[in-house]
Amino acid sequence: MSCTFSKIPIVVATAICLSVTFPHESKAQAATCPSPIPLGLTTALTGNLALLGTQARNGVEFAVDEINAAGGIEGKKLVLTTEDTGASSTDSLNAMNRILEGKPIVIFGSMISPHVFAQTEVVNKSETPFLVGATNAKVTAQGSKWLFRTHVHDGQLADLIPEYLVKSLGKTRPGIIAVADDYGLGASRGIQASLAKLKVTPVAVTSYAPSDKDMSAQLLEIKDKGADSLIVFGRPADVTLVIKQMSDLGIKLITIGNASIVAQTTLNNLSASEADGTYAIGGMIPQTSTDAKIIDWAKRVQDKYKVPADNFTVSYYDTVYMLKSIIEKVGCNKPAIRDALAATRDWKGMLISYQADAQGDLAHTLGIYRNKGKTPELAGPIKESGF
Amino acid sequence: MGQLVVNGLALGSIYALVALGLLLIFNTVQIVNFAQGQLLMLGAFIGISCAVTREMPVAAAWAVTMAAMALVGVVFMVLVYFPLRGRPAFLVILTTIAMGIVLENLALIIWGPLPVSLPSPVHGPPLRFAGVVVSMHQLFIFATLAVILFLQFVFLTKTRFGILMQATAQDLHTARLVGIPVNRTIAVAFAFGAVLSGIAGLLVAPIFLAEPTMGGSLGLKGFVVSVIGGFGNLPGAVIGGLFLGLVETFGARYISSNFRDAYAFIVMITVLIVWPRGLFGEKSSEKV
Repeated sequence: MSCTFSKIPIVVATAICLSVTFPHESKAQAATCPSPIPLGLTTALTGNLALLGTQARNGVEFAVDEINAAGGIEGKKLVLTTEDTGASSTDSLNAMNRILEGKPIVIFGSMISPHVFAQTEVVNKSETPFLVGATNAKVTAQGSKWLFRTHVHDGQLADLIPEYLVKSLGKTRPGIIAVADDYGLGASRGIQASLAKLKVTPVAVTSYAPSDKDMSAQLLEIKDKGADSLIVFGRPADVTLVIKQMSDLGIKLITIGNASIVAQTTLNNLSASEADGTYAIGGMIPQTSTDAKIIDWAKRVQDKYKVPADNFTVSYYDTVYMLKSIIEKVGCNKPAIRDALAATRDWKGMLISYQADAQGDLAHTLGIYRNKGKTPELAGPIKESGF
Repeated sequence: MGQLVVNGLALGSIYALVALGLLLIFNTVQIVNFAQGQLLMLGAFIGISCAVTREMPVAAAWAVTMAAMALVGVVFMVLVYFPLRGRPAFLVILTTIAMGIVLENLALIIWGPLPVSLPSPVHGPPLRFAGVVVSMHQLFIFATLAVILFLQFVFLTKTRFGILMQATAQDLHTARLVGIPVNRTIAVAFAFGAVLSGIAGLLVAPIFLAEPTMGGSLGLKGFVVSVIGGFGNLPGAVIGGLFLGLVETFGARYISSNFRDAYAFIVMITVLIVWPRGLFGEKSSEKV
C-alpha cells in the first residue's frame, strides 16, 4: 500500500503508514476503554539525568501525539500525564504516587534503574502495567508480574562487549572506565565477569563520579598499565569527555562501549578524528537506517524537540504503538493488557521485533556500530542467544 | 607523573577562578554565594549562544559574555542580597542555594539538556616535552588565572574603589556614615564576582562541555578551595585551588578514582582541624 501525503498533514499520514506497517489486531475491544484513555509517564526532565529522561518523554509523547492526530484508538484519544522525577529516587517515588492518583491504565517508567527500583512496589500494589526502559539487568528480576522492559539491558551488553572485543577485534588487555553509579558500576562488574569467562583480565578497572569532568588520571593509569583497548561505559556527556581527553593526551586505543559512543549528542561534540574507529554495542539507533520513513521520523523528532532521537527514543516510541495494538486487541482491562504484554511474540517495531521472555524483557536485539568519522555505521544487528 | 601535574594544575586553576569570584563577593558583604557554580554555567552558555549559535568571533563572544555576566551579577544582587540585607546570614546563603537551582532549571528550559562545546579562543598544536602534553587551552587557563589574580590584587589594594570595597567589608554601617557609596560598591563586587565566574565558564566549556548541571560540583569545589586557602585570602584561594587539583588528580591515579570527590572534603576537613582558619586564613574565616 502506498501513502499519499499531499492533502493530509504529514503527522497523520505517517501515523496511518505506521499503523499499516506495524501489525494490529481487531479493534472491537477498545470500546471498553474510558474516553480519553489515561496513560502515565514518570521520567527525569530536570537535574543531571534530564538528557536521558527527556528521550523517554520524547518517544512516548511523539507516539501519543501521532496516534491522537490519527483519531486515537477507536476514536478515543490518549491523554498522557507526565511527572518529573528529577535525579532523585525519592522524588521518583513521589512522582509515581502522583501519577497513580490519575488511575492510568498503563504507566511508562524511565530508563533510570534506581528510579524504577524505587517505584516498582507501589506500581505492583496498584496492579497497573509498568513499561520501562531501565537497563539494570535486575530490574526485571524483581518478580513483578506488572513490569515489562522494552529496551535491551546491561547484562546483554556486559556479555557482548567483551565477546566482540576479544573474539572479533582480538584485544586481550583491555582497560575499563565506567561512570560510578548503579548504571556504570553494574555494567563494569558484568563486563569483568564476562572477560573472566573468556580468560581475560583487564589491566585496569577505573571509574569516575557522574559529576566528574576530568578523567585524565584514569586514562593515564590505563595507558601506563599497558592496555591495548578501552571499554567505556557511561552517558553521552561523559563518554564524550573520555574520548576527547584520550585524544588530548595522545592515547590511541581501540575503544568500545555502550550506545553513548554513537549517540548524536556525543558525536556533535567530537571531531571526526576523535570519533573515528570507536565501537559501540547497544540498542538499535535510527541514525544508521536507510529507510526513508525512519529517517523522516528521526528528522521530525529532532525538529520538534531539538534533541536527536536515540535508542531510547525508538524504544519508548515503539512501546506506545505496541500498547496501542494491545488495547485494540484486549481493551483497557489492566490484567488483560499485562497478559498480552507477557504473550508478546514477534511484534515488529521501528527497528527490531519484540518478544517477551519469562522475566518480562521484550527487547533482545542489539546493534554493533563503528563510527566512520562522525557517522555511525551498523556492523550488524545481533540477537542475544536464545532468540 | 608530569602529565598528572599539568592536568591537576589545569583543573585546580578552574577551581581557583571559581573561588576568586566567590571571595570577591564574600570580602565585600560577608556572604558565601553558593550559586557561584551556576553563574559559571550561565557564563558558559551565554558564550556558546554568542560563539556557536550566533557565530560571533570568539573574542567578541567573550566580551559580550563578560558584559552580560556583569549585568547578571547586579540582577542577582537585587533579587537575592538586597531583600534579605540585615537578616541572618544563613537566610541569604539559603537563598543563594535556591537561586542556583532556579538558574539551573532556567538553563534547562532555555538551552535544553544537551551538552555543548565552546571553541577555545586559542589554537595550535599542543606543546610536548618529556612525554608530557600541554594543550594551548591549558596554557591559556594558567595565563588567565595569573592575570586575573594580579589584576584583582591591584584593584583591591591599589585603587580607590578597591579600598572602598575593603572598607565596606570591614564595617558596612560606618562605611555608609563616612560617605562611601555602599550600594554601588556592593553592586561592583557582585558584578565582578559574576564576571569571574563567567570567565571560568568560558574556560571550562571548551574542555569539559557545558550543560545545565555543570555548575553544582564546580561551585562546591570553589567553596572547598576557599576554605582550604583561608576564607578571604586571594593567594590562598589560588594555592588552595592548585593544591586541590593536584590532590584529586594524584588521588584518582594512585589511590582510587572512586573517591575523587571525597578527597576534596577529606582535605578540607583535615585543614579545618589543623588550621581552623585555613592555610592562609584571616579573621573573617570565623564567619563561614
